[in-house]
Amino acid sequence: MNPVVGIAAFVAVSVATAVIGFYGLRISRTTGDFYVASRTVRPWWNASAIGGEYLSAASFLGVAGLVLLSGTDALWFPIGYTAGYLMLLFFVAAPLRRSGAYTIPDFTEVRLDSRPVRRVTSLVVVVVGWLYIVPQLHGAALTIRITTGLPSWVGSVAVVIVVCLTVMAGGMKSITFVQAFQYWLKLTALAVPIVFIALVLAGNGAFSVAEANSNPTGLAPTGPYQNISLLVALLFGTLGLPHVLVRFYTNPDGQSARRTTLIVLGLLSVFYLFPTAYGLIGRMFAPDLAQGGRSDALVLLLPGRLIGGPAGDLLSALVVAGAFAAFLSTTSGLVVSLAGVISQDVLGGSVRGFRLAALISATVPLGFAFMTDSLALAGSVGLVFAFTASTICPALLLGIWWRGLTDVGAIAGMVTGGVLCGGALVAGALSGPAMSGAAMPQWLAQPAAWTVPAAFAVMIVVSRATKGRVPRTLTKVMTRLHTPERPLATERQGTTERP
Amino acid sequence: MTRVRVTAPRSAAKPVRDSREAAEESDVGQVFVRSLIRSQLRLAIVVAAGFLLILLAFPLLLGLVPGLAEAEIAGIPFGWLLLGAGIYPVIGLSAWLYIRTAARNEARYRDLAEGG
Repeated sequence: MNPVVGIAAFVAVSVATAVIGFYGLRISRTTGDFYVASRTVRPWWNASAIGGEYLSAASFLGVAGLVLLSGTDALWFPIGYTAGYLMLLFFVAAPLRRSGAYTIPDFTEVRLDSRPVRRVTSLVVVVVGWLYIVPQLHGAALTIRITTGLPSWVGSVAVVIVVCLTVMAGGMKSITFVQAFQYWLKLTALAVPIVFIALVLAGNGAFSVAEANSNPTGLAPTGPYQNISLLVALLFGTLGLPHVLVRFYTNPDGQSARRTTLIVLGLLSVFYLFPTAYGLIGRMFAPDLAQGGRSDALVLLLPGRLIGGPAGDLLSALVVAGAFAAFLSTTSGLVVSLAGVISQDVLGGSVRGFRLAALISATVPLGFAFMTDSLALAGSVGLVFAFTASTICPALLLGIWWRGLTDVGAIAGMVTGGVLCGGALVAGALSGPAMSGAAMPQWLAQPAAWTVPAAFAVMIVVSRATKGRVPRTLTKVMTRLHTPERPLATERQGTTERP
Repeated sequence: MTRVRVTAPRSAAKPVRDSREAAEESDVGQVFVRSLIRSQLRLAIVVAAGFLLILLAFPLLLGLVPGLAEAEIAGIPFGWLLLGAGIYPVIGLSAWLYIRTAARNEARYRDLAEGG
């Protein structure tokens, strides 16, 4: 591929991000603006922003790569990524908005009336965020290497620099516009090339999908245990993702939080049709990419392969731009929510503290990204979901729906889930490159099916054993979580101020 | 279906109490709140279970009916269509159903807590 194409695409996306970010800077003046855009974001904007933030390297590159590798088994990834939002809508969206908290640690502190719970939750949130940023940086490294031939580290470093600049400049308000723009950019970047590819293939008369069920890698199909464990991780992991949750505070009330989620589901459903199509076409016309660990580059290389000349270059540039939009939007969303947590817990919650925290949140995972190897992107993001599902998800679900949860129970459950799942991830990473995943025992490769129930069980048993510690504010908090708000005019004054 | 409530119009002179505060303080208010939470949780679990059953039925269907996964519609194998596109309308429908019913539960709660 022409190296100029990759560099031009990256520069264009970065400049667009920065321009929208700086435009947002004029609007955000208060600390509240910095954190959650003062809860004035409209559902369509908000939903586009959630979609933009959520569709990461794993969705943009990883899903198509996995479909290329393992066919219909890989389709459980986009299904799980989308259905996770359904679970979020059912169990979390409206109560979380009504809790009036800014971050997940805020929520657990309010619900359980306990500082130690806040500390543990903050720690978990930071770990989750960092784990999640690393695959984004790997994706950027891969994209830069494949499209420009520059060394891999250039991609990761460039993404971190752009993210730091935009986040430190504008906070959440500008992020909302940036993310919303990036959702539509990502969708266009996948949709336009695939339409051209389909036209070209149809023109050649080569459009028969009969070979779709051929298996270019000879990988054994995954068993039911792995698919179910993956679904558990994705369904319950989405509930606890810090950058996803923080978005719900920007809705004006609980009902609009639900409406936003419905729009998000529509946006995700439309989006995931495209990586699936890339994977399917890749299986027929570019099966060689399945070898040599290049499967994640399928989306980047397919337009150039099937459509030559300047048209191919243009379409490639579009796809590369979309890929960078994915890395930038997810990373900046995570950095904003991590910076919110770190600055409130460690640095006192000022705008200055937020900027410093943003810098820390973005640079630490850069170190991790240098030390680790790029795994299959969709797979490594799936493992982060397993970790969230084993830690934050039980605390949120039980906190919202069960009056018996105590602070000791919540801490015990999160620590258990974190240690079990974290242990499985480390053991898995040490036992060899992820590509030989078939050799790893299944329960270690996909731990969610046993670590999530374990975390729930410990949380419930320990809470039962420490019944006396149920907070005295319980009635008040539960009422607030579940009852509809007053009509907007009166509700505004009550909750836009930070307590 | 329209529901007709017969209540005296609230006079402007009467100070409007915050319904949330009222619900926190009174025993009756708490009964309403508990029943709202129960009905919302039941709704969430029922819709989630229904969705998961349909989700699990899809691969079972493909596995148990021989030749179904390979049958082609417009040149694309049915297995790919079902898992790659067919599940998303189910997701959207479940979400829409849930939102409608959840809002209705809340409206009923409002009627009880504020109309009485």
